[in-house]
Amino acid sequence: MSIDSHSATPTPASPSGGRVSGNPRFYLTNEFGLICLIVVFGLIFALLAKNFFSPFNLFALGRVAAVNVMIGFAMMVVIVTGGLNLAVGAIGVCGAMFCGFLIQVLGLPWPLAILLGLALGAGLGFINGFAVVRSGLHSFIITLATMSIFFGAMVFLTRAESFRGLPPIFSAFGTARLFGFVSPLLIVAALVGVLLSIMYRYTVVGREMLAAGAKPEAAALSGVPVGRTIILCHMLSGSLAALTALLVMARNGAAIPSMAGQLGQDWLLPAFLGPVLGGTLLSGGRASPLGTFLGAILVTMLTNGLLLLRVGEFWVQACLGVLLLFAVLVDKARRSYLAHLKVA
Amino acid sequence: MDRLVRADWFGPLLVTLVAVIGMAAFSPSFLSPLNVQVLLLALCINGLIAFSQMIIIAIGQMNLSVGAIGGLAAISFAGLMEVWGVPAPLAAILAICIGLIGGVLNGFFIAWTGISAFVITLASLSIFKGINLGITRAQPFYGVPESVKAFGNTTFLGPLPWLLIPCAIVFVATWYLLNRLSLGRQILAVGGNEHASALSGISVPRTVIAAHAISGVLAALAGIALVARLQIGQPTIGDDWLILSFAAPVIGGAVLSGGHVSVTATLLGVAIVAIITQALVLFHIDPFLVQVVLGGLILWAVGVNRWREVRVQRSLKRS
Repeated sequence: MSIDSHSATPTPASPSGGRVSGNPRFYLTNEFGLICLIVVFGLIFALLAKNFFSPFNLFALGRVAAVNVMIGFAMMVVIVTGGLNLAVGAIGVCGAMFCGFLIQVLGLPWPLAILLGLALGAGLGFINGFAVVRSGLHSFIITLATMSIFFGAMVFLTRAESFRGLPPIFSAFGTARLFGFVSPLLIVAALVGVLLSIMYRYTVVGREMLAAGAKPEAAALSGVPVGRTIILCHMLSGSLAALTALLVMARNGAAIPSMAGQLGQDWLLPAFLGPVLGGTLLSGGRASPLGTFLGAILVTMLTNGLLLLRVGEFWVQACLGVLLLFAVLVDKARRSYLAHLKVA
Repeated sequence: MDRLVRADWFGPLLVTLVAVIGMAAFSPSFLSPLNVQVLLLALCINGLIAFSQMIIIAIGQMNLSVGAIGGLAAISFAGLMEVWGVPAPLAAILAICIGLIGGVLNGFFIAWTGISAFVITLASLSIFKGINLGITRAQPFYGVPESVKAFGNTTFLGPLPWLLIPCAIVFVATWYLLNRLSLGRQILAVGGNEHASALSGISVPRTVIAAHAISGVLAALAGIALVARLQIGQPTIGDDWLILSFAAPVIGGAVLSGGHVSVTATLLGVAIVAIITQALVLFHIDPFLVQVVLGGLILWAVGVNRWREVRVQRSLKRS
């Protein structure tokens, strides 16, 4: 369910739910629309591609989906404040490479290395948040610059070489299958989603984050430390990004500098697709962990299905762009429909 | 003197001059004809990239798809010549049209939906890049005609590359557009205050679409120039333009919320980036550090801009 900073605001509707009678509060949500789409596309792919619902494909899909979901979460926690974090990819790779370095070169035990990797992510996030709050500039330009700095420094320090000497537990975790088709990576992502939901709904910190994003001036007047909250959001984003990269590391069995593409740019599209499809407002103040989760699942399913249908791997990226554009247009149609309802 | 210090181009010009003199003193090969040629070529192509972003910054938006449009134009330019044997001038015009269409589509969706340019151009970045890879299957086009290769790599009057001529014309035209033509003034007005400009009779959607169309054309020109320079139509053209396209306008004092850009200062920003990149090469500093330096430059520049803004506000309050 979506979580709003003003509990009185009506939940925005999805276009598919516009005509449905019954309990409007749920049918009108973005999440319900996404579930419908997931079911519809699932049926289409099941009919067209025979092996879509094979246990192995579901397992592979879950592994990719888990990473996309986590990337979406890492971006979502910053979008909540009305900002952006272009450096998610760069921070994530830095965290994973640091973890790989600690294990392979310094010989630290892996739980400690994972914790330190997450801490590095949070630290880099702190730099972002601190620069944004102190300078008063938009986070777009700050994180654009730090993305270049973090990634460049990482490549310089590692000499662009991978860390492959990881303990077997990583690859065991990455290749394990529960009940024959569920990847543990997906469970981690779901767990993070539940924790984020609880945080935004029930904890003071989470409510403060939503308030600071919805109306910073009002939040400051009612005693929310806005600057500190924004820094906290960036730190959370950094550690989530590092956790995501650790999942990728478990999947690949190695910490590779190019795992998120040049400057971590490959993560940008999934990072925005999930939250935007899931109904997170780019202007801030509204977060939907469930929507982000479903959005990322839908995107991964579409990618996987299109690949199974042999659309050609190169065209899939164009399809994802069209999907984002389509989601934005649907959102626009929904808003004008709601405005029409209010006028009528 | 006070007016001079406050001008946008003064700081970057000072930095450029100091950098050139310093570099020439430390390394005699810096002012060698070959090096000057390399510098000017970088200045031409990166200038086009920076201008493409600058126009969008002027209306207070951002265009993530600059690189994707440029890349698509570049591979269509090379592909048209190789696969269908289209003569180079016609292929260039068609490639520019592709850039124009890409820009108009961006502008149309932004103006029509009213959704932030960031999301729209992120989507179109992915679409254009996907089409690019779909056409090329990630393989470069090698069949670029000799005349195009020669245009990108020969010089006149010593170290001046031929590419400098079209680029210089484009630079002057952009300056003329933003400072003398009513369309350019409208772009800046919309960037400065969208609501006020709409009230004073400017069609905001039309201006947004026009700005994106110009940005698309400039990106396409940069792609074509890069094909001439590299002598192949690489599908990876445009992948690394994003940071660069923001660095130069920001160093040139552009205000990211829109309404204030400077053509001269942006060009000087491009020169600073080019000189620093070159310095790292000449002094055998690790090329991986270029990214760090570029990011640091952006941070430093936005910091200086912010400081200047605060100072102007303070002096306005006092008076």
